[in-house]
Amino acid sequence: MRDGGSFKQAWLTETLRVREAYWGQLQDSTEVRRALTEGGTFAQRLILRAEFLGQREKLNEVIEQWTTVAQWALAVMFFVAILAGIGTGLGALGDGVRSVNLLLALATMLGLHAVSLILWLVGMGVQTRENGPWLGRIWLAVTRKLARGPNAGLAPRALIGLLGRNGALRWVLSTVSHLLWLVALISLLGTLLILLSARRYTFNWETTLLSPDAFVALTKSLGWLPQQLGFAIPPDAYIRISDGLHTLPAEMHALWSGWLIGCVLVYGIIPRFIAAGFSAVIARRGVRMASVLDTTLPGYANLRPRLMPASESIAPDASPGPQVHYAATTQSSLSFTGPAVLIGLELASTTTWPPARLPDDVHNGGIIDNRTQRHALLDQLHKQPVERLLIVCDAFQTPDRGILAFVSELAAYAKELRVALVTEPHSTSVETARHIAWRAQLADIGMPAQQLFTALDPALAWLAGASDDKHEAS
Amino acid sequence: MKLPESRDTLRLAVVGHTNTGKTSLLRTLTRNPDFGQVQDNPGTTRHVEGARLAINGRQTVELYDTPGLEDGMGLLDYLDQLSPPSQRRDGPDRLAVFLDSPESQGRFEQEARVLRALTDCDAGLYVIDVRDPVLGKHRDELAILALCGRPILPILNFLHSPRQRTEEWRAALSRLGLHAAVEFDSVAPPLDGETQLYDKLALLLDTHAGLLGALKENVLEQRDLRRKDALRLIAELLVDVAALRLTCKPDEASVHAASETLRDQVRVRESTCVRALLERYNFRLEDFAQQSFPLQGERWGMDLFHPQALKDMGIHVGKGMAAGAAAGVTVDLFTAGLSLGAAALTGAIAGGLWQSANRLGKRVIGRVQGYREITVDDAVLRLLAVRQLALLEALQRRGHAALAPIVIDPLASTADLSVASPAGESDESRPELPYRIEGAAGNRLRSGKLPDALAEARSQPGWSSLSADFVEDSPRRDEVVRTLAKWLDY
Repeated sequence: MRDGGSFKQAWLTETLRVREAYWGQLQDSTEVRRALTEGGTFAQRLILRAEFLGQREKLNEVIEQWTTVAQWALAVMFFVAILAGIGTGLGALGDGVRSVNLLLALATMLGLHAVSLILWLVGMGVQTRENGPWLGRIWLAVTRKLARGPNAGLAPRALIGLLGRNGALRWVLSTVSHLLWLVALISLLGTLLILLSARRYTFNWETTLLSPDAFVALTKSLGWLPQQLGFAIPPDAYIRISDGLHTLPAEMHALWSGWLIGCVLVYGIIPRFIAAGFSAVIARRGVRMASVLDTTLPGYANLRPRLMPASESIAPDASPGPQVHYAATTQSSLSFTGPAVLIGLELASTTTWPPARLPDDVHNGGIIDNRTQRHALLDQLHKQPVERLLIVCDAFQTPDRGILAFVSELAAYAKELRVALVTEPHSTSVETARHIAWRAQLADIGMPAQQLFTALDPALAWLAGASDDKHEAS
Repeated sequence: MKLPESRDTLRLAVVGHTNTGKTSLLRTLTRNPDFGQVQDNPGTTRHVEGARLAINGRQTVELYDTPGLEDGMGLLDYLDQLSPPSQRRDGPDRLAVFLDSPESQGRFEQEARVLRALTDCDAGLYVIDVRDPVLGKHRDELAILALCGRPILPILNFLHSPRQRTEEWRAALSRLGLHAAVEFDSVAPPLDGETQLYDKLALLLDTHAGLLGALKENVLEQRDLRRKDALRLIAELLVDVAALRLTCKPDEASVHAASETLRDQVRVRESTCVRALLERYNFRLEDFAQQSFPLQGERWGMDLFHPQALKDMGIHVGKGMAAGAAAGVTVDLFTAGLSLGAAALTGAIAGGLWQSANRLGKRVIGRVQGYREITVDDAVLRLLAVRQLALLEALQRRGHAALAPIVIDPLASTADLSVASPAGESDESRPELPYRIEGAAGNRLRSGKLPDALAEARSQPGWSSLSADFVEDSPRRDEVVRTLAKWLDY
């Protein structure tokens, strides 16, 4: 799940993430809404949110400030590198009064460089992603020390986190380090060229331990590579007599200076140039990879539901309709002559019907389930309105408008109508809630609470003609 | 990512008798606990309200919540009166006559809204409360809905109730010609509930099969993503806690005070993780009633450092487990992770010589002065992991319509583990009841060896975001968190 924009955006987004990880999430409802209207992938929305919040919290200024500081620090370090190059050149060649010791000069000029380059190469082989070369590290450390303000630490922290996550940090720091070396070596070369052009130097080798042949071999092997680029090697015989004990012709010293320059170029500048280029290419790729947001990071996960909501509301069609109940008109002129009638409503077909202990003089109207049965019952009641009508109903059923309309229709044909709610053995809180709903709904169609039984036995007693006063709807 | 081949929107109306959980179904499908209004009362929803389901930011499926049908029989009577069956008009024609009639604004206003909505949609999801017996009114409702000329897919809701009548309903639906039905409990949907629903819908709506396929894929993808994110959050918590080390003077009072600080830090960190998990799964904080810490004396809320909490979660506790003041923490001579075995050491080498060197000075000084170092016990780490995984499992199985708070019963989960029943089927029949942690991670956490990732975290005090010298830019920590997250994912 990687997706994203430019490195700068990724950096800003990461800065915000780090900040929110430290100080908690910012109040961002406006920004989230704006990002939502813009749309796009999750990463794009994250970036948008970061940009909006970054503007508000001045995070982009923080990044810019830090970038400026970093650039200045780097400039200073380049300047120091130039000075170091010049210093090394001056130190290696000396003031021209004394003859230049070839081996020592070479070691002064390239020794540290060679050691650090070898360390870097060895370091590349080890699979650690943490340690960049120390020159680059120093640069980072300096910028962190220099950046001021409460948020200043965020920018480098985010940068390190961002680059470190896919290993690009090491290559960025390598590039910086190699470039510093490259600048130092170029300034060294420049110093050499100026000094060798402007002053007269004499060169020699000295040894206590080694034989002159060894020195010849060393010179030739070191000079072989520069030779391929056109730097001449002094002839063997001359090398042998460059031991400081013989006076050499001037062109011989020119040959030696050429050899020295060739060595600096081939063993100093060219490898550094190649290493810098190589690191830069990988660093570039790494930076490009880093500009693609890793949306699996912890701070982002919790934003996903808000930035990529699974659903979005659609406005209602109209305002909620009224809860109207259809109430049949009662015909007061009816004479209620029929017997007491018992019917079942909303009852499952498996219900035992009629209930046991049914009084003898009660007519069983059956369970009324479909429209045909309803019509038949209404027709019959129309012909012969009844004195008492008991409706037995499953208490678990939600009282709906349809049933209430039917009850109110039935009420027109009975002098007295009552509803009994029967529950199945296991009663739960849902059912007590239903009792309340039934009571409220019946009240809506004009039936007082006394007309509702919550148990079957008192209801059947009422139907059989028992006095009304004993029971109170429990 | 495959994109649906057609750009058209699929519109689905959620219809059904009143109080069968239509709004609940929408809440669960949209993963939005704030959609509409849910009450155990008839006629809670009295207007048509919709939600768009996004497929990767693209809006393609629209779901419409409708008022409940309440007076099907009355409406059928009225329809017969408006256009008697003898006229032999077809469904949509009869419907048109009704929608023009005065009662469509009066007595049958709600029903008219439902029918209009269904006519505007491509299909209807007919929500059934399977606790209800199959009654004439339901058959009449289906007959009325059929007038719209849209395919209807019955959704069987409240399957987990002891009084469910699923078989009765399936038989009745078959008799009405509705052979495809989906079992989907909106409070505790089965893990594959949504995909099943969209699969069956695709069979009914073959012209939209591509779109529904994309939606289904998106559902699976999002579920995967959520789980990955959640495991990562848990792994972060564990690394933070494992790496945490407090240093203090060797006297008893200091050790005691430092232990208390450590415990508090860990408790707060746990609650942060809980909150993040809830947020990631789009549940409200109130859903997890005990989310505020410290929670002493409560069930799930049993304090993290209480030995009983460990036993409740079935975590094997060694003999050395201390109680009282030192419960849950280990007090050592100052080592700062320097004596933690080979695995940790390689980790330390790979992970940051630079940082290790940085702290070496501090460590040597501490060592010389005989300071003590306080860390969190392994058993507490196990408990943390088991608890968070249990919560994650609960969140995965919870529908967004659920109103009851999330309950995690550690005792039940141990009991289930001990009988080692096959995973899966028993869970679905009782979602409100405790469930257990499936898979190997739970077992491994309870008694097995802790993963190397945690051992390595122990050796890196700088990896704890709770620590004052937290090293925020450690790629190795990142790697370890990822490894740990994978380890937790069975």
